[in-house]
Amino acid sequence: MPPAADTTRRRIAFGGVLLLVAALPFWVRNPYQLHIASLIGVYWVLIGGLNLVAGYAGAISVGHVGLLSVGAYAFAILAGPHGWHPALAVLAAGALGGLCGLLIGLPSLRLPGFYFAMSTLACSLIIGELALAKQNLTGGGVGLAVPGFAAPFRSARGLYWLVLLLAGAVTWFTWNVTRRMWGRALIAVRDSVIAAQATGVPILRVKLTVFVFSGVTAGVAGALFGSLQSYITPDTFVFEMGLFFFVCIIIGGRGSIIGPLIGTAVLTALPELSAPLARLSNFLYGVLLLVVVLIAPEGIGRLLETSIARIRGQRPTSLPVDPDLRRLAAAIRSGHSP
Amino acid sequence: MKVLEARNVSKRFGGVVALSQVTIDIQPGEIHGLIGPNGSGKTTMLNLLSGYYRPEEGTICLGEMDLSQAAVQRRSAGGIARTFQKPRLLPTLTVVDNAMIGGWTATRAGFLSSALGLPLPAREERLLRARALELLSGVGLGGVLSRRASLLEHAEQRFLEIARGLMGNPQFLLLDEPAGGLTGVEIGHLQSILKVVRDAGVGVLLVEHHTDFVFRVSDRVTTLDLGKVIKHGVPSDVRSDPEVIRVYLGP
Repeated sequence: MPPAADTTRRRIAFGGVLLLVAALPFWVRNPYQLHIASLIGVYWVLIGGLNLVAGYAGAISVGHVGLLSVGAYAFAILAGPHGWHPALAVLAAGALGGLCGLLIGLPSLRLPGFYFAMSTLACSLIIGELALAKQNLTGGGVGLAVPGFAAPFRSARGLYWLVLLLAGAVTWFTWNVTRRMWGRALIAVRDSVIAAQATGVPILRVKLTVFVFSGVTAGVAGALFGSLQSYITPDTFVFEMGLFFFVCIIIGGRGSIIGPLIGTAVLTALPELSAPLARLSNFLYGVLLLVVVLIAPEGIGRLLETSIARIRGQRPTSLPVDPDLRRLAAAIRSGHSP
Repeated sequence: MKVLEARNVSKRFGGVVALSQVTIDIQPGEIHGLIGPNGSGKTTMLNLLSGYYRPEEGTICLGEMDLSQAAVQRRSAGGIARTFQKPRLLPTLTVVDNAMIGGWTATRAGFLSSALGLPLPAREERLLRARALELLSGVGLGGVLSRRASLLEHAEQRFLEIARGLMGNPQFLLLDEPAGGLTGVEIGHLQSILKVVRDAGVGVLLVEHHTDFVFRVSDRVTTLDLGKVIKHGVPSDVRSDPEVIRVYLGP
């Protein structure tokens, strides 16, 4: 297939899917389904950012639920009692999430994998306890009502479109990052620290940058999440939620965007399909995780990639290495005389 | 033109002296062979020059600049590239992407400008990709550009590492046993590649066990034994030195 036709076809498919998703409020059967669709989008705002940290840079963070709660409480407090405009409160929630990301990431991202995971876990537990203890600010165990957004995002439909817009933005940002040098640098940090160093990639700076970015998206997701749930307590942000975000990425596949997106949608919607499934949700996550880790350790994203390649009949053939010395000389010299 | 130099460097691991008061210099546009028996300190020297180890005594200099305590990344940005005994590639990325990461120090686009899709990262991407294609075709990997690195043959991995090293326009290229595991024909290709690299003005340090290859391709050869230089000179002198023959080459 010529590449131009390929691109056109892809664009048409992409446009079709986008239209279908944007029109979702008109074709869902009940408000609850719309709520679930919004929830998927909210989770994706967080997971899309976390994907750069966990899926690309390979830093195992299981504590992003803490950053989600920071965003949710910040939004609830600023847009509620303090009477800020919701749009401003979302920005503040994102900024606060990013700041917390910086404060958590700066000391902990130097630690090797397991210890980093433990420190993110510890941070999320501390944030949960703080939310419980700071009664006059957070309402303690009783919780806090979260205001809605201003019109036109006040209705359930409006909120869905706002979530869709922000989820789309996060997807676009991460897609831009991952297809350029930064994406390669992140994967280098994940797969070979030695190769990353040798090519000049500043490891801590790269990890910290995406961690702060994921803090911002988690903070924004928190604001949306609170508004969607309309009421939050410390019990809303259980530790399992942080694990859930991470599992979505592992099931979707490291180093992919579409994989974790599918993972998020499936894992969020699965327990909601019917009441009996809801009781089994942790069991289902467990089984799905086992299946992926054992059968397709590279996740849904990679599975898609290989199946497409197989359908198109691309098979690797090996040619003997045959240097083109004149071209090599020209290339080296051109680099030395810019 | 700058010279890459280690002056009187020493390195110990616990009680073991890996290098003791060794001086070696690599000139631009030369191939400098570094040979010696196992444990003589060849790879230690390469790690000191590229920054993976810091010397206990002595200095590492690039021209007038003292790099003794500089991080690996700073040396890479300063024009020192290297390859590894066991190729260190990114297995899930394609050949082109693996080469392009070698151009990291040549790019300026930050995270935000990339995320927002600004023109600078896209322009840098185009230039780097074009350069990667030239270099990869140059070293003979033009036929496997979109293959995952995990699926490459051994020789392809070695040549890809060289291409990645060249992506950052280095002044010096340090090679750790590049001929290891290659067939005779492939060593021939390696030899022509190294000569092209040298003739373009790049200084090459060649740490290698394959002595025939080293004597054939090098302009100068240094021999180490037990962390000390025992002979240094043009290949024919080193090859006929009785001490070198006694400890390493054999009669």
